[in-house]
Amino acid sequence: MNNFSDIENELRKLRPAQPSPILFERVEEAMMDRSAVVSPARQPERLPYNWLSWGIGLAAAAALLLFAVLNMERQQGGGKEIAQISREPETAPLLNRAEESTSSEKFVPAGATRLVYNTRDEGLQFGRGSGQPVRRFRYQTRETWQWRNPTTGASLRVSYPSEEVVLIPVSGQ
Amino acid sequence: MQNLVSHENWKSCFCEIAPGLLLFARQWVQSAADAEDIVQEAFIKFWRRNHKIENRALLYAAVRSIALDFIRRDSRRARREATAVGETNEFIEPEFEFEDDTQRALAEAIDVLPCEQREVLVMKIWNELTFAEIAGALGISQNTAASRYRYALAALRNTLQPR
Repeated sequence: MNNFSDIENELRKLRPAQPSPILFERVEEAMMDRSAVVSPARQPERLPYNWLSWGIGLAAAAALLLFAVLNMERQQGGGKEIAQISREPETAPLLNRAEESTSSEKFVPAGATRLVYNTRDEGLQFGRGSGQPVRRFRYQTRETWQWRNPTTGASLRVSYPSEEVVLIPVSGQ
Repeated sequence: MQNLVSHENWKSCFCEIAPGLLLFARQWVQSAADAEDIVQEAFIKFWRRNHKIENRALLYAAVRSIALDFIRRDSRRARREATAVGETNEFIEPEFEFEDDTQRALAEAIDVLPCEQREVLVMKIWNELTFAEIAGALGISQNTAASRYRYALAALRNTLQPR
């Protein structure tokens, strides 16, 4: 390492640029305000998307609920079964179940897809109270469920966005 | 052992490390203002998590993580900035305070070092981290950190040697 002492000395003479005085004020303010973890200048970027996602997700859930309620009312009122959402486990092959249906008035599950349209590696994070870093991945997906009436060909499709955050512990050396 | 929460004079602590932290953050962002945002966020996180100031490798790891996060979030903006920077070099805030042309040439030579060498050099020279601390912050071995440092010094010397 001694061979490089001359260049090291030259480097040490170089002084990094000083931060702006505003930075110290900002840090002090942030330290006083314990609720503001993220720089306020960048925080709003994520909010519209999250609200939009939640809104669409809730709307999809509400549509499903409405469909289920209408279905129950029809069954109880007329005594005639018009549509039904399958209660079988999701793990069963959905497409096969459509073929197995014998009733001409039943809606049967016809498909379920989960499209991952964005994967983001958000880097290393340090959890609260934990010394071990974790790598955070964010998956943005669109889930679509389909039901079909094999007799009439009528179909119902519900699609909604979802977001999943996965933390993978990173072991040090 | 003292931590930042009980550090009454946190300003003197921050004054001491801020220039080096900013220089470290500037490796990933062109703008000094963005680098200050990153350093602020990292320092506040470090302070709130009650880490000991001696465990400063975590602080550098946090700066690095937040900076990389920032790049991913603002990749389009970063591309625009890179284009603008390519066209108008005079608007980039300098990372160093120059006293003469030799120092300016040295700073330019540091700028063109490969990123992995430059980050080790910045941590070692201007932040005075040990190779063990650098290795911890970057998730590499001490030997790798030391060899990157030597490669950086050798490259700088080759660049600056009179021909």
